[in-house]
Amino acid sequence: MKFYINKVDWEKFLGQISKTYRIYAPQEVYDELSYQLLSPENVNNTTYGTYRAVQPLKIFFSLPQEKVTVVTSQPEKTIVLGVKNCDLKALQILDKIFLEGDFVDPFYRERRENTLIISSDCYQPKDTCFCTLLDNNPFPEEGFDLNLSPIDNGFLLEVGSPKGESFIASIREDLKEATSDLVKERENRRKEAKKRVVEVNREFKTKRPFSAIVKDEYASPVWEEVTKTCVECGACTNICPSCYCFLLVDTEDGGKFPKVKFWDSCQHTGFARVAADVNPRAKLYERLRNRYLCKYEYRPENFGIVACTGCGRCVEACQGKIDKREVIKKLSEKEEK
Amino acid sequence: MAENPYLPVEAKIEKIIDETSNIKTFVLKPSRKIKFETGQFVQLTIPGIGEAPFTPSSSPYQTEKIEITIMKVGLLTGKLHEMREGEIIGIRGPYGRGYPFDDFYNKEVLILGGGVGMAPLRSLLLTLLKNVDKFRRIVLCYGAKTPEDIVYKEAFPEWKKKKKLEILRSVDKAASGWEETEGLVTVLLDKVKMDLKNSVAVVCGPPIMMKFGTLKLLDLGYQPENIYLSMEKNMSCGLGKCGHCALGKYYVCKDGPVFKYDLIKDVPDIWL
Repeated sequence: MKFYINKVDWEKFLGQISKTYRIYAPQEVYDELSYQLLSPENVNNTTYGTYRAVQPLKIFFSLPQEKVTVVTSQPEKTIVLGVKNCDLKALQILDKIFLEGDFVDPFYRERRENTLIISSDCYQPKDTCFCTLLDNNPFPEEGFDLNLSPIDNGFLLEVGSPKGESFIASIREDLKEATSDLVKERENRRKEAKKRVVEVNREFKTKRPFSAIVKDEYASPVWEEVTKTCVECGACTNICPSCYCFLLVDTEDGGKFPKVKFWDSCQHTGFARVAADVNPRAKLYERLRNRYLCKYEYRPENFGIVACTGCGRCVEACQGKIDKREVIKKLSEKEEK
Repeated sequence: MAENPYLPVEAKIEKIIDETSNIKTFVLKPSRKIKFETGQFVQLTIPGIGEAPFTPSSSPYQTEKIEITIMKVGLLTGKLHEMREGEIIGIRGPYGRGYPFDDFYNKEVLILGGGVGMAPLRSLLLTLLKNVDKFRRIVLCYGAKTPEDIVYKEAFPEWKKKKKLEILRSVDKAASGWEETEGLVTVLLDKVKMDLKNSVAVVCGPPIMMKFGTLKLLDLGYQPENIYLSMEKNMSCGLGKCGHCALGKYYVCKDGPVFKYDLIKDVPDIWL
């Protein structure tokens, strides 16, 4: 179902629902888009149609640190607005990990169930964006409750789930169905947007897919070379929308066996260390290489989904100026020259 | 909220058995029954200190109590070794995949164990003995550093009386009175004659022994799909989520800890 809604009506609607939901929307803060809690004062400041926010979407579902042996609060009804496709794709990985398998993470599930995702198209990539290198698009096609494509002083509003449908029930009667011209206009805008990402990444295009390169070039000296500037800060994993690894830490308070779940980073020395100090990935380049294998080989083998969506956050966050695209290009060069 | 998989239940330390100078067996009575399969592991917690994975060494048929044999190697195991009978710790699990006994039926089962790696193998052995008619023959090759370092010293004389079970033991360094083999545990493999076409091998021990044990078994003619390994990794959550126990594309906590060697033989650096 696709509708047209003008910006004024949309913002009026947001004003109404903000009484029931906490709404987070991307707004400009110090030259970056950052998720801000919506209030009547800032509702007009939301940026819909450009690149993703600086924070990964996972912060709403898997908290950086959280007590897991006591229930401290009930999840509030939340809306995350302006989510980009790179983050939606990454959420598929987190859903696989936390909602499937033999055990479900009840904390993640509660937050996921109480959150509505309203995504939007990305018409203006950053120069660190590379979703197209991984066959992703800068616009959502699945995984959202509602999607907004900015167009003609308003939005083409697409319903993506029953949850999204019931959410707009109160204004459904006032919504006009999107005309075929409008849908066509959106297609054109999407094509242009994709072209822009392709253009940004022209020099990084490789013949082989990333998955083949990291696998084939396992023994390449490039891994050690590119790791030289890594300071092991863990920014790349913290900022990554599809990184989900964590550590359970026993603490002092919070029930009989208090445990806190912290985001952890596979780039840290002790991540895989076992009893008696045996470490399967003692060297930094081995850990960096394993991260690439995790993203491009292992998770795709597990889930059929590449665990890197090209959001480019790790490129921006890296203190050592390690650009994934350059690493992959370097690895691939020997054979492709 | 649905069941919380991060939450341990209480377990009372009923008894502590000294096995060697740095290995103890803890007999635990959990506040609710924990039914496990041989080879699966549990997580033990000392509140405020930490949590670590261990594989029970007792028979899975004994469901009231769980025995866990622990070597003192770090912070948590150090604290456990200081604990007394009657004290309470936390336990959650069981987790992972144990030994697939159906694959062992009507076969000769060769068990290769080293040091405290005998712990899960004791549970395996007890399960095999309970169903001994289903297996053609059981051969246990066990190695320790010195005679003092052998675990379950009191159980061996009993096991030696069992039909269909043969036991060979070695120590790296013999002491006076030691009448069995001296040398690394792999030398025992030269002394046994297995019907390779109808045999499976199970290996558990320190990483270095796992490596050379497996290579030796391959040398002897075992096929990778007939070798079962208990892989050691630092499981944190045990639930297949936290990523700490990654072994290539596998998570040892949910895909293992028992793996057929052919499944993981191409994973880089599996022996570390």
